[in-house]
Amino acid sequence: MTRTLLLILLMVPNVAAPAPRPERIVSLVPAATEMIYAMGEGARVAAVSTYDHFPADVARLPKVGGLLDPSVERILAIKPDLVVVYTTQKDLIERLDRAGIPYFTYEHRALADIMTTMRAIGTRIGSAARADAAASEMERSLADIRAKTAGLPHPATLLVFERDPASLRNVYASGGYGFLHDMLEIAGGRNVFADVKQQAVQASTEMLLTSKPDVIVELLYGESLKNADIPRTLRAWDALASVPAVRAHRVSALTGDEFVVPGPRVVDATRRLARAIHPDVFK
Amino acid sequence: MPLIRKRLIVTLTGFGLLLLAALVTGPLVGSTHISLARVFDRSLPFADNTDAQIFFIARLPRVLAAALVGAALAAAGVVFQALLRNPLATPDTLGVSSGAALGAMLAITFHVDVALGGIPSIPLASFAGSIGAFGIVYALASARRRGLSTILLLLAGVTMTAFFQALILFTQYLADFTDTFRTVRWLMGTLDVGSYAPILAALPFVLVAFAMLATLPRALDLISLGTDAAAARGVNVVVAERLALASASLATGAAVSLAGPVGFIGLVVPHLVRLVVGSDHRLVLPASALFGAAFLIGCDAVARTVWSAGELPVGIVTALIGGPFFLWLLVRK
Amino acid sequence: MLHARHVSFAYRAGGPRVIDDVSVAIAPGELVGVLGPNGSGKTTLLKMLSGTLTPSAGTIQFDRRPLSGWKRRELARRIALVPQDTYAPFDFTVLDIVLMGRYPHLGTFALEGPADLLIARQALASTGMSSFEDRSFATLSGGEKQRVVIASALAQRPELLLLDEPTASLDLGNQLDVQLLLAGLNRDGGVTMVLSTHDLNLAAALCRHLILLGHGRVVAQGPTEDVLTPDTVRALYGVEADIHRHPIAGHLTVTPLARVP
Repeated sequence: MTRTLLLILLMVPNVAAPAPRPERIVSLVPAATEMIYAMGEGARVAAVSTYDHFPADVARLPKVGGLLDPSVERILAIKPDLVVVYTTQKDLIERLDRAGIPYFTYEHRALADIMTTMRAIGTRIGSAARADAAASEMERSLADIRAKTAGLPHPATLLVFERDPASLRNVYASGGYGFLHDMLEIAGGRNVFADVKQQAVQASTEMLLTSKPDVIVELLYGESLKNADIPRTLRAWDALASVPAVRAHRVSALTGDEFVVPGPRVVDATRRLARAIHPDVFK
Repeated sequence: MPLIRKRLIVTLTGFGLLLLAALVTGPLVGSTHISLARVFDRSLPFADNTDAQIFFIARLPRVLAAALVGAALAAAGVVFQALLRNPLATPDTLGVSSGAALGAMLAITFHVDVALGGIPSIPLASFAGSIGAFGIVYALASARRRGLSTILLLLAGVTMTAFFQALILFTQYLADFTDTFRTVRWLMGTLDVGSYAPILAALPFVLVAFAMLATLPRALDLISLGTDAAAARGVNVVVAERLALASASLATGAAVSLAGPVGFIGLVVPHLVRLVVGSDHRLVLPASALFGAAFLIGCDAVARTVWSAGELPVGIVTALIGGPFFLWLLVRK
Repeated sequence: MLHARHVSFAYRAGGPRVIDDVSVAIAPGELVGVLGPNGSGKTTLLKMLSGTLTPSAGTIQFDRRPLSGWKRRELARRIALVPQDTYAPFDFTVLDIVLMGRYPHLGTFALEGPADLLIARQALASTGMSSFEDRSFATLSGGEKQRVVIASALAQRPELLLLDEPTASLDLGNQLDVQLLLAGLNRDGGVTMVLSTHDLNLAAALCRHLILLGHGRVVAQGPTEDVLTPDTVRALYGVEADIHRHPIAGHLTVTPLARVP
């Protein structure tokens, strides 16, 4: 009875009769994979997406495609009893329905939703207590960081996650929505594009100049990280010598895909971001 | 009808003044209000003078890039139309733009990060792609030793375009989500160059192309009426056609590498110019270059002011103007 | 004036010869017709005579100099070619088209001056197209276009005019106009002419000398009366024809009677 109520409360659309404790989980969502491992249930993961790289264990698991190209064949071959999918993977969901395979739909939202999702997954796979513990730990750590930065002045910060190599064209920065923005706020920075109600802002040269950031943080991850000469990469910003952050030599890079996977490592990412913005406070 | 000399002077002066007006007012237009007095206020150090920074770092390069790209694409359009004897030909018809697009796409998808002589990888790859496409089309169409066959040229160009488009789609398929997004954005064209370096890199190629074009206008007139008649009048058709193809491809390649494939300039500008000055290429070619520059400066000004939350890619503005213009042309006939 | 000696032409080395061992001589002041069925090589011969096609074998000399020795523009100031059809993809005016004929007389960067304008207008006048000066070329009828193109060739002030099927797409009235125009230019203006045609009666009416081409070879050449006989017509066209001088017009006429099996 309680279990049924819980399921209804979770509002997770699921057609097939869910297994109470799935043992063969296929996760197409790297963030969800990390969550499952963080709550200690990594042994139950049977296959992951092509874009999963963390933790190291997933390297030996079979890969079944990603957001745009999930391989239904390979998923079915695993004989999963739960598949974690993106809400936008409508075709895949339809096929899973037809095959009678239960699934959990994941949606990428703000920072706070990471913990909510973690608890939801925990409940779904029958590991609610451990999930709750892990999520609470995350909340505590994040609150910790927030407390540390609360009393500090928040410099105007530009958080860049994408641009053309070796030039400042097609700069994409975090807008006022999304978990990058939330991370930035907790880390003690004031997003220069906080008033732009989008997750990503394509910043033109003029916008970069008028926004006048005191700190610029560039996120490097994935393919662009291989063979990257970071000092040379950052030198591209010298073209905008009049920007306060460039003048004060406060342009830095943070590497690693924990910045783009909204999962348990977001705590570590936020801490590193805080260190980049307030180096004297966070050692 | 007044003689060509007088018409040339009037045409060049008129369009020249138009371009001058565009160059002067262009940098003043934008989403942020700046004052010209403050821009040139020497008492304020540059690092503190936001108005000056916006003017010289953000806007002026855009306006100059727009002028260069607009002039190059418009001139290339005129030449391709004469070469193919078809007023609907564009710099895209013979595959040069597609080659440039494929080059850029490959650089983006495979995260190529090699800069040659200070030029970053995407413009470099784009330029290489355009020259590659030109080379293939040229080789295919020159199979007959007596110059370029128009039919072969068209077939080669259309085939290359289709082939490159297929490769572009394939590359996009291989690319991950963000790269696909970036390539799609690149395909829309943008003039936000952010510094003078890319302009200075593209400038020599455009100047060389223009120098090659300088001898061609009258020959293009004659060739457009038929290569036999032109040859019988003393035009070295083989040399003229090769020069036309090479110079127009070079100008297109440089322009697309700088700003991405900005469509419709090569098609709309020559048509508009012909409505005003007639069809003599000695008037149409320089006037199109001048008007193309002014026109693109105008489109770019629209692109960065019409949208409050950012900027519209300039290729969208030119397409939104070009499309209806073409409908109007069709209806007129 | 113009001599072709043993010229041949093939599009590919070793390929079929479109023109095979042809020798012709054009004397100043002549009005020569090149006759032959479709595919006999008339247009190819004309192109070679104008210098736009290089023979695969043999030599062509103009004014006792081989064509290859002439600079293009130099030659174009002496020889003009009127192609069969002219299509203008751009909106040129009639005067634009005629002024293009001045190209061989100007440098690459030279612009037409008042003298060139005068010559162009004279050329238009001699073809009766003066009132069409500002009209768009594309809007003209076939006959009008042809006369403009001839005017354009005349603006080159050539000594020799080569015309490829000048009346092919014209109706009777326009045909007669062009015929009389050409006859007048030759007679009064002293312009030597070579025209290709498949219209036997036009050739008979206009040309004093004929070259008959069959499968790229010269079947017969010489004065019209000598060349245009029932035997040659039979050999060339496979047609039994009656040829006799028209009592009023004064020139030979050819009337086809029957197919020869």
